Amino acid sequence: MSTLHSQTGFALQLTDVTKSFGEISVMKGVNLAIKAGERHAVIGPNGAGKSTLFNLISGMFPVTSGDIALNGRSIVGLPPYQINRSGLARSFQITNIFPRLSVFENLRIGVLARHNVRFGLFQPVSRMRRINDEARAILAEVGLDARAADMAGDLTYSEQRALEIGMTLTTGADVILLDEPTAGMSREETAQAVELIRSVTEGKTLLMVEHDMSVVFSLCDRVSVLVYGNILATDTPKAISENREVQEAYLGEETAS
Amino acid sequence: MASMRNLILMAAVLAVLLIVPPFLGLGWQNALVNILIASLFALAFNLLSGQAGLLSFGHAAYFGMGAFATLHLMLAVEDGLGFPTPLLPLAGALAGLVVGLVAGYFSTMRSGVYFALVTLAFAELFHSLTPHLQGLFGGESGISSMRMPWQGIIFGSVLEVYYLTLGWVMLSILVLWAYTRTPFGRLTLAIRDNEQRVRFLGYNAHTAKMVIFAISAMFTGVAGALQAISNETANYALFGSQISAQVVLQTFVGGATIFFGPVVGAVSFTLFAYLVSDLTRSWLFYQGLIFVLVMLYAPAGIGGVVQHHMRSLRRADWTGLAKPYALAALGALLVGSAVIYLTETVAVLFGEEYSVNLRNAAGAYPGYHLFGLSWSPVSPLTWLVPLVLAGVGAVLLFKVRGTIAAKWEAMGRPETESTKAPDAAKLKGGAA
Repeated sequence: MSTLHSQTGFALQLTDVTKSFGEISVMKGVNLAIKAGERHAVIGPNGAGKSTLFNLISGMFPVTSGDIALNGRSIVGLPPYQINRSGLARSFQITNIFPRLSVFENLRIGVLARHNVRFGLFQPVSRMRRINDEARAILAEVGLDARAADMAGDLTYSEQRALEIGMTLTTGADVILLDEPTAGMSREETAQAVELIRSVTEGKTLLMVEHDMSVVFSLCDRVSVLVYGNILATDTPKAISENREVQEAYLGEETAS
Repeated sequence: MASMRNLILMAAVLAVLLIVPPFLGLGWQNALVNILIASLFALAFNLLSGQAGLLSFGHAAYFGMGAFATLHLMLAVEDGLGFPTPLLPLAGALAGLVVGLVAGYFSTMRSGVYFALVTLAFAELFHSLTPHLQGLFGGESGISSMRMPWQGIIFGSVLEVYYLTLGWVMLSILVLWAYTRTPFGRLTLAIRDNEQRVRFLGYNAHTAKMVIFAISAMFTGVAGALQAISNETANYALFGSQISAQVVLQTFVGGATIFFGPVVGAVSFTLFAYLVSDLTRSWLFYQGLIFVLVMLYAPAGIGGVVQHHMRSLRRADWTGLAKPYALAALGALLVGSAVIYLTETVAVLFGEEYSVNLRNAAGAYPGYHLFGLSWSPVSPLTWLVPLVLAGVGAVLLFKVRGTIAAKWEAMGRPETESTKAPDAAKLKGGAA
């Protein structure tokens, strides 16, 4: 892992990141370097700390020690909104939308933030053409045009997941973190979601938590295996699935497919 | 078009408010001033509680600050400061904004119950501190001033005060309504829905909440200022928890999820107080009862019920509903009569006057007068009347309730329409 010392070419770089909740240490010195433009998956057994890792990167929890750099600049200690403005957007494992706002409104909130009209008080939002056009474009991108005026809470589960992906695109971030975007989906829904993720992350850097190895294989350039707060290995999906250590620690019978 | 209908409705209300008051008596003119002030107070409060989802239990603080700041400016005008009387509420707005920014900075660090408790603490702080600050708040008796004439307008009559109040309240309502259409107004709703998500979309949620708080406090300050101008006096009781509680009750009875809901609540409660407080000492009990009933059976408030019916205006089977609605009204009337009868009877029998009569009667239970009739507390009829009324009414309500629910169910879910986002129609037009 000597490449970690290089500052160039990495969209996201974690160096010796640790996290303890009281006595319990959940991250034990994680090193991870995500190249700009790559699609990278984090896999690992339940309780390995995948969501915690995302929460540390996105600023939801402070790290105990170590450094996290976004496009070469440290983001340790920044609040979530500043990390987002620095170019990182995330989705959540449990659907996290604005249930009582329209689907369109859900997307427009992020577009407004991107255009720095966060606290706009002197012009009706309906007249902001560029913002409405952009929100509408993302709406089309995630295939929810027909649902624009419906309340987000009324969408089907997979539609809500698509909306959630759309929301991560609204702020114009070039590093996208998706936390189990296909969890709980049927086979067809998963295939659709994979295509959606592939198209919307074109030219961006993607880091995703994923359980489904077929999704990882079809979507990702590299995979990191997180086991109890340690990165066990980082490699191509094929090499990872053939890695004996990984098989023992995690994949086990799942590799049979 | 629904918006066209609303526009005509609002124009009609405004026309009535402009034309009718000169023909009313002083009592009604005063009541209308109070209704307007309460409406603005509730709307400003609901910006925070309904739209941002931050329930404040201490909005009396900003109402009181607005009132005192205005009175100080009025005193300065008395001493010769050339400040136009119609612009006095600006002092209330400024005081509300400044105090709101400070209190908002601290209270919006927390959400939910903790937020509510911090707001309560701020109001209680002012309530206990202000009587000791003789110079600023005039001790326990408060401070008073007089409205000074301006440009030939004397501001001596209630009617002049009424028109001044009407102007400020209408202007404020217009601004508060426009606020909901701005990017920040939409962010306010997003914070209510999911504050955490807002943070991960690049917003500083704390700053946003603080600004919302301050804007709400600013308009609350305008309401306080109008009260000060109307009463020409204010004391520390304005910071009391009763004022804070009143605006919560009004807002939720009216309907916190609808823009004009709080106005409905404020108008109903202020009218209720004006009309009923002269008739019975138990009016606060009835007010509490109404609040409980609305929360139990119409949690979206009176405004919610009205909106529900307005939205189904064309679809609903009104001829089929007429009979069960009439029966329900009859049932409610019967139960209501029984409750009023019992409340008033209890108020008499356990009142001071009756206890004196009881002592004088030496062992016997003397009769009493109520509703223009004579009653005896030991006569079975006295207790049979409310029992029969309540019994018949309850059976009627119970039976008809199922019928009404079934009729609405048969018409299709009205929810399918109400779940559409407010600007749904507009959005479809814009997309084309």
